[in-house]
Amino acid sequence: MKDKQPSFLDAARWPIAFIVLLLLAWEGAVRYLGIRSIVLPPPSEIAVVMATRYDLLLTHLWPSLYLTIAGFALSVVGGILVAVLITYSDIMRRGLYPVIVVSQIIPKISIAPLFIVWFGTGTVSSLLLAFLIGFFPMTINSAMGFQSIDEEIHKMARTFMASRWQVFWKIRLPTALPHIFSGMKISVTLAIIGVIVSEFVASQEGIGYLIKLAGGLLDTPLMMAAIAVLSLSGLVLYWIIELAERRAIYWQSTAGSLAETGG
Amino acid sequence: MKPDVRLQLDARSAHQASVPCAVRVRGIRKIFDELEAIRDVSLDVANGEFISLLGPSGCGKSTLLMMIAGLEFPTSGEVTLADTPVTGPRRDVGVVFQNPVLLPWRSVLDNVLFPIELLRLPVEEYRARAMELLRMVKLQEFAGALPRQLSGGMRQRASICRALIHDPAILLMDEPFSALDAITRDDMAVELLRIWQATRKTVIFVTHSIREAAFLSDRVLTMGRRPATIVDEIHIDLPRPRNIAMTEEDSFNRYVRHLRKSIEASHEG
Repeated sequence: MKDKQPSFLDAARWPIAFIVLLLLAWEGAVRYLGIRSIVLPPPSEIAVVMATRYDLLLTHLWPSLYLTIAGFALSVVGGILVAVLITYSDIMRRGLYPVIVVSQIIPKISIAPLFIVWFGTGTVSSLLLAFLIGFFPMTINSAMGFQSIDEEIHKMARTFMASRWQVFWKIRLPTALPHIFSGMKISVTLAIIGVIVSEFVASQEGIGYLIKLAGGLLDTPLMMAAIAVLSLSGLVLYWIIELAERRAIYWQSTAGSLAETGG
Repeated sequence: MKPDVRLQLDARSAHQASVPCAVRVRGIRKIFDELEAIRDVSLDVANGEFISLLGPSGCGKSTLLMMIAGLEFPTSGEVTLADTPVTGPRRDVGVVFQNPVLLPWRSVLDNVLFPIELLRLPVEEYRARAMELLRMVKLQEFAGALPRQLSGGMRQRASICRALIHDPAILLMDEPFSALDAITRDDMAVELLRIWQATRKTVIFVTHSIREAAFLSDRVLTMGRRPATIVDEIHIDLPRPRNIAMTEEDSFNRYVRHLRKSIEASHEG
């Protein structure tokens, strides 16, 4: 099928131009105004730090990235499972669902120190915070998706004696996919926040730890290089999900109708 | 309250005594939340017969059809298909809905094969039949296309193929053309007759279009509103195969006038 979708480069052209312009303005302003790099380093200096100290940056990026992905994966699996429970169990929908919604009032970041007390510094705490923070949008979006099944399609399937199982796999799940992907895009960015905050609180490694460390040493260029590396990683994760979404939800792209050519 | 223009059931049964009965509805009554929606409806449909249930929107004719499909249940009375009572959806029935209700992520061919999957029949063995049905409605070139790439009429034709894929004895159609534009609608009526002629299914066709009912059917049952009852029944003795030109003729228009009158009569009082 010849679907006319804007290619990635087409869509990215203007935002990239805008970012380049912004970086140039930043570079120019810092140099012209003579701002000290401890306050605001120019982009070129940050780039140099990224190029020369990539070893240090990568050493700390890996644990963070790994925990982000693991926490995100947990929140996807957990969110979808709970959404299925909410969809199929009346008691869960009426009891658990409102509790999950109301529990959103708790700023999950504030739980980070508590997790340190419970699970110690390091992997488990970061993983759980990333999971907890990404879990909610996954659950809500998936539940909405599972419940957005077209009643007429459901009726049609019932005339062919479809089982609940068949309705779930063949109708509910594909119907829910766009919602599930929206949830994933939100959750992955939140999972990063979870990991970084946890590393801020107490950790001996990770990009969050590096940012805090560089801040303590007043090494602003390193701090900003770390932030840049972190942001780029987040962008890549988001982009991977977007790419997977386009592949998975192939039926929603904007192709023209073939109807004019025949029938 | 209502003029009793209903024909005697016995007289009609006698008329079709020689043909085995595909659908038998006996004394159906349906009450929704203390509101009587359908009152004392009985009808027989012979094997291979094409009947229409004609009536204004919301008169309960779709509910009646859904009871025959086993998706709704009467408060009292009984529906039997091929001499067995309806207790739920069953294999010998195919349903076409008002909307095509195709799955947007499946190709046309896979949509047609969907019932085979749900009924846990061997999909591979039905592939050829699915293509045959698509050829019958001139959609063979679109077997691999997604539903959104098709026009409304093409989608509805695909959904008719889906209803026929498991070779049901009875085809139930719930206002299948009402979402289409007038020209496509005429085409679809002609198309449906062609399919019916080729497959010889028993068809129960629900519509609020008088002309559509008269053009398609062997017999038209007119339903009145609130509570729904059958207020009139006529046999359409037009020759088959029928074509759209016949709708210009007097003989056709006499039926149309008759049906219009019985619908109007059911509104009075």
